[in-house]
Amino acid sequence: MNTEDFVSGTAGVRVTGLGVSGPSGQFVAPFDFSIAGGETLALIGESGSGKTLSAKAIAGLLPIGFSAEGRIQLTSGAITLPASDAIWRATRGKRISLLLQDPFTSLSPVHRCGMQIGITIAASRDGKISRQDIQTQVVERLTEVNLPADVARAYPHELSGGMRQRVAIAAALATDPELLIADEPTTALDASNQGEILDLLRRLQVSRGMAALLISHDLGMVRGRAENVLVMRHGEIVERGATSRVLRAPDHPYTRSLIEADPSLTGRAAPDALPISPADFLVTATEVSKAFGDKVVLAGVSVAVGRGETVGIVGESGSGKTTLARCIAGLEHESGGLIEFDGVALAPGRASRTPAQMQIVFQDPYSSLNPMMNVGKSLRLALSVARRPASDVPGLLDLVDLPAEFARKRPAELSGGQRQRVAIARALAVRPELLICDESVSALDVSVQKQILDLLVALRTELGLSMMFISHDLAVVRQLADRVYVMRDGKVVESGSCQQVLTNPSHPYTQALVEASLHPPATQTV
Amino acid sequence: MTDTVAIVLDQAPKKRFRLPLEVLLSLVLLGAAALMAAIGTLIAPDATSQSILDALLPPGSPGHLLGTDELGRDVLALTIAGTSSALVGPVIVALGSMLLGILLGTIAGYVRGPVDFLIGRWTDLLFSLPMLLAAIVVAGVFGAGYWMTVVLLIVLFSPSDIRIVRAGVLEQAARPFVEAAQMLSLSKARIMFGQVLPNVSSLIITNAMLNVAFALVAFSSLSFLGVGVPAGSADWGRQLTDGRSIMMDNPAAVLVPALLIIGVACAANLVGDWLGQTMTRTGRV
Amino acid sequence: MTTPLARASRARPLGRMLVVRVLGTVAILLVLSVIVFSMMHLAPGDIVKNLLGNRPSSPEAAAAIRAQYNLDQPLYMQYLIWLGNALSGDFGQSIRMQDSVTNVIGARLPITAALTSVAFVLSIVVAIPLGVQSAVRSGSWIDRFATGFGIVGLSAPTFAVGLVLLYALAFYLPVFPVYGAGSGGLDTLYHLALPGISLALGLGAIILKFTRTAMLRELESDYVTFGRARGLPESQVQRIALRNAAIPIITGASLVLTFLVGGTVLAEATFALPGLGTLLQGSVLFKDIPVVQALTLLVAVVIAVIALLADLAYIFLDPRIRAKEASQ
Repeated sequence: MNTEDFVSGTAGVRVTGLGVSGPSGQFVAPFDFSIAGGETLALIGESGSGKTLSAKAIAGLLPIGFSAEGRIQLTSGAITLPASDAIWRATRGKRISLLLQDPFTSLSPVHRCGMQIGITIAASRDGKISRQDIQTQVVERLTEVNLPADVARAYPHELSGGMRQRVAIAAALATDPELLIADEPTTALDASNQGEILDLLRRLQVSRGMAALLISHDLGMVRGRAENVLVMRHGEIVERGATSRVLRAPDHPYTRSLIEADPSLTGRAAPDALPISPADFLVTATEVSKAFGDKVVLAGVSVAVGRGETVGIVGESGSGKTTLARCIAGLEHESGGLIEFDGVALAPGRASRTPAQMQIVFQDPYSSLNPMMNVGKSLRLALSVARRPASDVPGLLDLVDLPAEFARKRPAELSGGQRQRVAIARALAVRPELLICDESVSALDVSVQKQILDLLVALRTELGLSMMFISHDLAVVRQLADRVYVMRDGKVVESGSCQQVLTNPSHPYTQALVEASLHPPATQTV
Repeated sequence: MTDTVAIVLDQAPKKRFRLPLEVLLSLVLLGAAALMAAIGTLIAPDATSQSILDALLPPGSPGHLLGTDELGRDVLALTIAGTSSALVGPVIVALGSMLLGILLGTIAGYVRGPVDFLIGRWTDLLFSLPMLLAAIVVAGVFGAGYWMTVVLLIVLFSPSDIRIVRAGVLEQAARPFVEAAQMLSLSKARIMFGQVLPNVSSLIITNAMLNVAFALVAFSSLSFLGVGVPAGSADWGRQLTDGRSIMMDNPAAVLVPALLIIGVACAANLVGDWLGQTMTRTGRV
Repeated sequence: MTTPLARASRARPLGRMLVVRVLGTVAILLVLSVIVFSMMHLAPGDIVKNLLGNRPSSPEAAAAIRAQYNLDQPLYMQYLIWLGNALSGDFGQSIRMQDSVTNVIGARLPITAALTSVAFVLSIVVAIPLGVQSAVRSGSWIDRFATGFGIVGLSAPTFAVGLVLLYALAFYLPVFPVYGAGSGGLDTLYHLALPGISLALGLGAIILKFTRTAMLRELESDYVTFGRARGLPESQVQRIALRNAAIPIITGASLVLTFLVGGTVLAEATFALPGLGTLLQGSVLFKDIPVVQALTLLVAVVIAVIALLADLAYIFLDPRIRAKEASQ
């Protein structure tokens, strides 16, 4: 194993021989690391790599049935794993604190934010603190994470995702721990919030001289935000070293494939789109509007997809991009505006549309296939709609690079990427002219994302498909879109060729998005 | 979080199908009860007729293992013959309310609109009345017989089935695989019964099993109160009413049917719970 | 973000919501009253004969009945008069007892109120702590005991349990009295012990199940993990989880009321207690329709009021529901 020594100061954390075993054997092979006070170590891995289990092992919060081994050396003493409940009670909070991924669930919904920070302060002093002092401290802690004092009176549901994660950070740090473990702290947030939260964490960690372990699936995100990085795969560390070195010259092929798969790190740009004349438009949506009750989701949106063209629609959650796609597909009834296919106006709803016009590939691979049907049955159903014979199933599977035996498998036996391939095959079974991809790769791991995107690019050329590609991730859209529409609050704020929008965004919102997703900011030097 | 779960699901060794002991015992008890219900009247054809005039015998009397009741009827024969009356009704109630639940629940959940509203208010209304009270009042005032009571209980049981199926259908109907079926322009009925309903089936089967237990309780409660089952017929609930006053002389006349009711209801409940857990675990839902 | 101004403006939607709920409850009760009223007309047999009961049916008596129940008036007038009387507490004469329905019910009410209170308190006091403990120590012997208790309580009919208890603790081991309601005070409580326990078994099982399920779900949630991760004491983590589980538990507690009504009838019948349950049983078997009508309406009102209180409790307990209600 590589022995680059991370420890630069005496304060900090040294973990030796950390391993995790579960009901069916070892999940994480023993590994060592150390983090100096005031420094961050990033632990990178895809889902199932064992990174979250490692984090939970250090916080003593492994699920039932899992056990840890190893030794954690903190400034204030050492813990040998597995440790007793009594030791963990004395350790968690005061010495090691853990920040979770989802701010929507990590705070109790029926308690005020101030109370949740306050009880943490009280617990770290073993209750020996007056109410008055708690109140004062809560306000100080909120100020530290750039929140106004009256947030203390608010319930979590009254705050935005970014604000909630700030409250959670204030609560996690209320005990002044020596080590903070942040488990994917921004994955559940919108792109524009992610950078801010990470930079806030970085600032707090540096100013307190605290050690931090940042868990992430995203190698690009840790650039400039961690001194050192560990890359984990199938429960083993495959690469370790200084962040800049690993990003520049990775040793291990897996790390290299992660860097290549990460669109924000490769900087591949789409070619300039050829101008398309209105006569070549396959689908046009003109001034489409939609409201759910009082809530306006689409406020007059116009987009068009040319024949053989791939159009990207980019926006954060709540921007209306998915609703627009659903209106075009007829799954949602628009309240106003006009949708035309091949020059013919379509009435709202599915009844006016045929399967061969357009198909959708949905976001969540785990629920987009009927769990009660095997792959072959799902595909045969789709084929029968287009009056194609059941014998086309193997050819269809081959189209998405799956072996013919997959016809007999149930969705539960497939991985996320395989399911998404089946979903694409089902959509193509009726030979649609337009393929709508609604966040089709955003639930997948980076390396799988890349494979699916490559597949889509190949299919587009092979079948001459027109595509509408919806995503919150500019970096993904850049890989295959000819033209891009940027949506915000139910409106298109910017559109143009992919190249132009990404390299020279004119709208401030697009600029912020480009900034957030394509160029991770270089942070303060330590 | 999801990370850990994914690992556990992927790598957990495939466990062999194992039946917990209490579920096995429950199935044996239910099987025996079903057998008694099927052939009970053949074994004890004259259970309701008096074998000895006005003789109340304690358990263990020669020729009468469990003794006789006030009217001189053999308790063992009466209990065996009473099985079908105690069990057939509840099973039909569970099946009937399941069918009603599937029909109305699927329509309400998938078609929505005014139909859903009407069905919703109907279940609200039935829910606002305690079931047993409604059954007692309606069956009592109208002097309902056995089969009328079955129909009445089907109606009174159906709201919970309707709500469960409706909720399951609503949950499934919002899933992408249903929308994928819509993208294929399949008909509403085909999507509803071909795509959505199979995914709710484990919920429905589990609930039907639990309903057998609750219907057994409701049925025997009614006959205990003297409603639904005519006096003098062989039925476990009825035996309890009749036997209460002779508890001193022949406790078996009360305890045997009472313990049978408790046992069968517990068994049906255990099997229902187990079905629910197993079916969700194997990812059928 | 909430400003004090936004908070103040919530009071009004909350008031409007209250009005909507109350109106909904009144609507359901009106529908039920129509059903209850028509019971008299739908019951098999001649209505006058039914209302006369065992009394000799002379033409004069028949005429008196017709006048008393306004049978010569159009049906909707009969209903309105009946409803008007009912609202002022007059449900007519009991056919069986030859006394006003109000008096008959009034005399039986205390026993039933005492029995249901004993059973309700008993089940809450036992089931909620047991449910919390069985969730916290999931898989332990206390959890297995609670699960077994839950299955039996949920499945075993009140009367069957009652009869087994009666045999075991009143006949075989004569610890408790066999029948009757006792002579008031502690003696009554003593007499209510066995019926109370048999009734509480079913109630407790339902509350136990709701508590355990709700607590298990809350204990698995992220905010509990996060609480532990910041070093909160386990007792505090559990308190936070229980506070979050309060809504499903209250739903459970309000749902058991419908069970309580049926169970009371059975428990009273088993132990021959002169309460509303045995009154209902007797009146149903005797076809004493005015008493049945009054009891049914009484139960419907009590259940509707409690459902309303449970609804209001949600709004009090969950700020998210409060916000949603206010925005509608």
